[in-house]
Amino acid sequence: MLELDGLAKRFDGQAGRALFSHVSLRLAPGECVAIMGESGVGKSTLLNCIAGLEAVDAGSIRLDGTELVALDDDAFARLRRRSYGFVFQAFHLLPHLTLAQNVALPLWLLDCAAAEAQQRATAMLAQVGLGDRADDWPRHLSGGEMQRVAIARALVHRPTLVLADEPTGNLDAERAADVLELLLGSIRSAGAIGILVTHSRAAAARTDRVLRLTATGLAEEAVAA
Amino acid sequence: MRAYFAAALLCLGSGLPAAPPAPSGSNNESDPPGYPPVVAGRPLQFPADHGAHPDYRTEWWYVTGWVTDEDGVERGFQVTFFRVRTRIGEDNPSRFAPRQLILAHAAVADPAEGRLLHAERGERALDPLAGAATGHTRAWIGEWALEWSQDHYRASVDADSFAYDLRFDPAGPPLPNGQDGFSQKAPDPRHASYYYSRPQLGVSGTLRVRGKTHRVTGHAWLDHEWSSAYLPEKARGWDWIGINLADGGALMAFRMRTATGEATWTAGTLRRGNEPARALAPAQVTFIPGRRWRSPRTGTEYPVEWQLDIDGRRLQLQPLMDDQELDSRRTTGAVYWEGAVRLVENGREIGRGYLEMTGYGERLRM
Amino acid sequence: MNAGLRHVFLASLARRRLATALSLLAIALGVALGLAVQLIHGAALDEFGRGMRLVAGEADLQVMGPRTGFDDALYVLLAQRPEVADASPILEVEASLPQRDDSLRVFGVDALRVRRVQPALMPVPEAEVAGEFGIFAADGVFLSPAAQAALGPGTGGTLAVLAGPREEHLRILGSVPGAGRGQRLAVMDIAAAQRLFDQVGRVTRIDLRLAQGVDRAAAIERLRPLLPPGVELLAPEAAASQVAGLSRAYRVNLTMLAAIALLTGGFLVFSTQLLSVVRRRQELALLRALGLDRRTLLRGLLAEGALLGFVGGLVGVALGYALSALAFSIVGADLGAGYFEGVEPGLRFEPLATAVYLVLGVAAGVAGAWLPAREASRVAPARALRASDDVEVLRARPRGPAALASLGLALLLCLLPPLGGIPVFGYAAIALILAGSVLVLPAVVRLAMRALDGGRFVLLRLAHARLAAAPGQVVVAGAGVVASVALAAAMAIMVSSFRTSVDDWLSDVLPADLYLRASSSGASAFLTPEVIAQVAATPGVSSVQPVRFDTLRLDEAQFPVTLIARPVAEGAPVPLVEGDAASVRGADGLPPAWVSEAMADLFRLAVGDTLSLPFGGAPHRFRVAGVWRDYARQHGAVLVELADYRALTNDSRSNNVAIRVAPGVQAETVAAALQAQFVGRNFELAAPGEIRATTLAVFDRTFLVTYLMEAVAILIGLFGVSTSFAALATARRKEFGMLRHLGLTRRDIGRLLALEGALGAAVGVAVGLAAGGAVALVLVEVVNRQSFHWSMDIRLPLAALAAFAVTLVLLAAVAARLSGYQAMRQSAVLAVREDW
Repeated sequence: MLELDGLAKRFDGQAGRALFSHVSLRLAPGECVAIMGESGVGKSTLLNCIAGLEAVDAGSIRLDGTELVALDDDAFARLRRRSYGFVFQAFHLLPHLTLAQNVALPLWLLDCAAAEAQQRATAMLAQVGLGDRADDWPRHLSGGEMQRVAIARALVHRPTLVLADEPTGNLDAERAADVLELLLGSIRSAGAIGILVTHSRAAAARTDRVLRLTATGLAEEAVAA
Repeated sequence: MRAYFAAALLCLGSGLPAAPPAPSGSNNESDPPGYPPVVAGRPLQFPADHGAHPDYRTEWWYVTGWVTDEDGVERGFQVTFFRVRTRIGEDNPSRFAPRQLILAHAAVADPAEGRLLHAERGERALDPLAGAATGHTRAWIGEWALEWSQDHYRASVDADSFAYDLRFDPAGPPLPNGQDGFSQKAPDPRHASYYYSRPQLGVSGTLRVRGKTHRVTGHAWLDHEWSSAYLPEKARGWDWIGINLADGGALMAFRMRTATGEATWTAGTLRRGNEPARALAPAQVTFIPGRRWRSPRTGTEYPVEWQLDIDGRRLQLQPLMDDQELDSRRTTGAVYWEGAVRLVENGREIGRGYLEMTGYGERLRM
Repeated sequence: MNAGLRHVFLASLARRRLATALSLLAIALGVALGLAVQLIHGAALDEFGRGMRLVAGEADLQVMGPRTGFDDALYVLLAQRPEVADASPILEVEASLPQRDDSLRVFGVDALRVRRVQPALMPVPEAEVAGEFGIFAADGVFLSPAAQAALGPGTGGTLAVLAGPREEHLRILGSVPGAGRGQRLAVMDIAAAQRLFDQVGRVTRIDLRLAQGVDRAAAIERLRPLLPPGVELLAPEAAASQVAGLSRAYRVNLTMLAAIALLTGGFLVFSTQLLSVVRRRQELALLRALGLDRRTLLRGLLAEGALLGFVGGLVGVALGYALSALAFSIVGADLGAGYFEGVEPGLRFEPLATAVYLVLGVAAGVAGAWLPAREASRVAPARALRASDDVEVLRARPRGPAALASLGLALLLCLLPPLGGIPVFGYAAIALILAGSVLVLPAVVRLAMRALDGGRFVLLRLAHARLAAAPGQVVVAGAGVVASVALAAAMAIMVSSFRTSVDDWLSDVLPADLYLRASSSGASAFLTPEVIAQVAATPGVSSVQPVRFDTLRLDEAQFPVTLIARPVAEGAPVPLVEGDAASVRGADGLPPAWVSEAMADLFRLAVGDTLSLPFGGAPHRFRVAGVWRDYARQHGAVLVELADYRALTNDSRSNNVAIRVAPGVQAETVAAALQAQFVGRNFELAAPGEIRATTLAVFDRTFLVTYLMEAVAILIGLFGVSTSFAALATARRKEFGMLRHLGLTRRDIGRLLALEGALGAAVGVAVGLAAGGAVALVLVEVVNRQSFHWSMDIRLPLAALAAFAVTLVLLAAVAARLSGYQAMRQSAVLAVREDW
């Protein structure tokens, strides 16, 4: 259960212009939502706040009942390691690691034994349809394939929460649909909470709920497909 | 008969067993150039002949004896001073010029030790540190000294394991050996020395062994011998005795020996009681080796008991103790046996003195 | 850290192979040079110390006097003393060898005494050749194994030595096995040596073993009154430490140069790590986003540096041993400086020194990685994930106050005196100047860019904009350049000043037209008055000036000083820095003496002071009339009038004679006449030109190692330029792709890179030159003055420095362009589109 309550964020801390405020949200396991909004409204910032990569100016974030806003940098880092998965628009695969090693990265951070990490990463790669390319390098992949690897990396350690920032932004429509299906399916089958920031209505339409971020809060939006 | 030690000292310091004889060392068939020859018919003249004869190649004063301490413990001792003329640097004005070398050797035979205590010193003659005086007996290296003063000799020696300071009072005039002091060492008369002995010296003084100083008395024997050509080529070593006889007499005898143990020359001097001394001809002196003892250190075998046929008498030599081997391989390289012995005739001790056996390990370098 | 995670960091090193290899090499070179200096001097010192111990043997005390020795009656006196168990007299002669440059230490010993006090010097005759009294032979000599190996003839052969004007042939009768492998020496009988070298009645040393129960202090107290002036009673350790002290300053100097090479290596690690962090910004941000905490990130990046340092250290250690072995076989153990003649040390494994230098290598790696790692761990991951430009990291905070503080502190440190004869504070000042110059770099870049308007050329404007926005790029590329240029410039200025001063000094001390010499000073050969008279009578000779050398022991705590006796007032000029050479006896009637700068420093003497010199066993008072410059004798020298010396000693011999040729006569003619006159005699006839050439050759050989280190430092600096531009170009591929879209050609991009490289290097070189000048000043005025007690005139090798600076800027441009070439090759479209 993820609970956001009255989150507020200003540019450059307390003194700056307000970015957003009164953001409240409640998400149950297995639930996937999309957050939309105009450019510059702070969608990515909201995701960063949830991930503890940026500090909020007000409000609370509770994951399974634990208050996260008070956590210090290292504690949040440990929490991310255990409970978060990330998918980025730019994929962010490490070029000097093989696909399996890229996927195993979160397991390594959790101090998982090398052999087990390798095995779980390979299994996860198989789930995203790249089971035979475990030892291949990122530079040999297409964009869609890279994002599949990124999805595998986001889910390999069974996170509670998966945050995806424009996961299909760098892909053409056809690839985007495939990748999105894989991402949402994986999140749901893992029983995780998924938050998707996107500009694409088509993408948003495949989630359970679509929310629009404005300066004054999150509003439920009817999906016009 | 003490040239052996002198020879060994000259090879000083190699730390190795003495090397095989050098070819140059065996050309003694003729007189070595530059040294005066030893010739018959030069009577000894005292007191001048008590002093050093620096022109001759080698010379030594050799005192051996038996002493008894206040507790009745019997020990043997010996001290020797050598003088060697090197014929090196004789025109060198340096005070260090090694014209004359002085070497000294001292030992104590204490049955409680089971083996000899011994020490040695060597120096170039450099007044006042070391030297050998002419005109009267005085040879010294540092505080080690053998010296005649007024009517007696005095020997003082101070080594780590022992020390002594002894006075020797002669009982009579010097006893020339051979023909009036001309002592032949081989059939060829060129191998000879001037040689006299002073038997029956009365000993008194102090002796320190194992940290304890004893007052001792006893009898000693002094040899003074000088020569230029000593050891014949074929000789490998010699056996020598100097015995103070219980009757007040004296017996000196030696034999030169080849590598196979055959005698090349034997001779001696015998004075019975107060009778006049007689030179013994080769035919009158026979050395017959008896019981042998093997040194645990060097593996060399020595006949430590002897039968002597002297002038028709059959005598036996018995050692104070078997192990009187002198092993100085680490310093001078010399290995020989030199120790206190009793002279026995028909099972009865008739004298005490010293036996020297050389050349049982390897040949001497002379 | 998890093994997989470790892989994430270390695999990054493998990916940037060139940069990694260069950093590695830089550290390896620093470690290798430092270790080699240590090994070589350690071995030489060990062997020298061993030599001293060997010669001292079991002596408790040594009686030592001037080089020409003292009366051997002292030996007889001491040998009889109750405090003395054993006394061993020694006449040590540095024997000249005909037809050879080097000399042989000959020990005249009493073989019967030497074995009790210095058993290692015991001659062992070879029975076959030595005969029975071989160890006393007047014409016999015994060679140590090293001497036998060096001189050729073995036992049974003959050895020719120069004794005075004569050549004497000695029979080699055996060896001195106790001398060990590294000691080149000969032993002969003391009486024979006294006579051979015309030293009858003299010894140079007496070694004493004290009687049991006599303690050293008591013995010194009781024996000292027996000694004539100029003869000292020393513990053998004191003698050994005097020798060690002699070369210490030189050793420390070289070690410091190696440390600077290592420091430059550290700068290079800093450059490559900083660039790697810039390039991996997103990667590191991703790891942070995935939950890596700051400390682990810091540790991972430091581990990269440590690994670089460790591997570089290992390579350096291997290289160091190889270098030492090479140096031993080529230049000799003193690295050409002439401190350890007659010693042939062997290379040994030194676990401690090796470990220390390995640790230093790791430390350089970690230190270089420290700032970039801290920078990276502080970056906000959310922003780094998104923004892909590197300008922010390279903005480089100005550190003016820190720069000023370190430069100010450097100035203060220069005023402090040396510690234990080592100019510790001078070296600290040099380190501070280097640090300050790197710190001041961003400010200088900013100033330079403000001064340098972009102008009309688009490339210049682009480069200008880039460097102004990211002065850190210059810092990164330039840190190594600054350090290495500073070092190179400093050494160049110092060596040039030194060489010029030595050259001037040589002209001062070699004013005559010809020099006839018996041998190098101090050795066994000399010229008799008859020879001098013969020289003076040679047609064409207008005047002759004999020179006599000796050593004097003035103080048991100091090394003996050299005595030079020659005509001063009517003779050749003295290179005075103070006082005057007019040899007027003052009102007090004391004869004048002129002391070298080293002697003035070491004995705290000033013009006007009185000085007591022991001549011929008696003290004589002199008045210090001047201080002169002497580059030849680091432990001090004193010059007196030959007439005074002769009057006090009755020593009429001389070591060499300066010859002036009559006007209108060719020096060559006179030289030929002299040669004809002394045919078959072992005299060396030299013209000042030759002596000067030889001296300068020795000088250059001494600085050979210095040049090598300079070259290495510059190489490392260029590595820095090359790696930083390679890395930056890769990171800026998108920028270049965009510029290509805007219409720049590939060649333009190449030019842009070259321009940036040249501009950055120019700033680095300028700062480096300034720092180098400051360092040179410290080297000349503080380090050399305190280490060697000599002054020199600063001389800037302007042309060489300018050529060097231009070359370096051009090389940097080429390096930048070559390194960026890969980035330029890529398709512009791909570069813009791709994220990595």
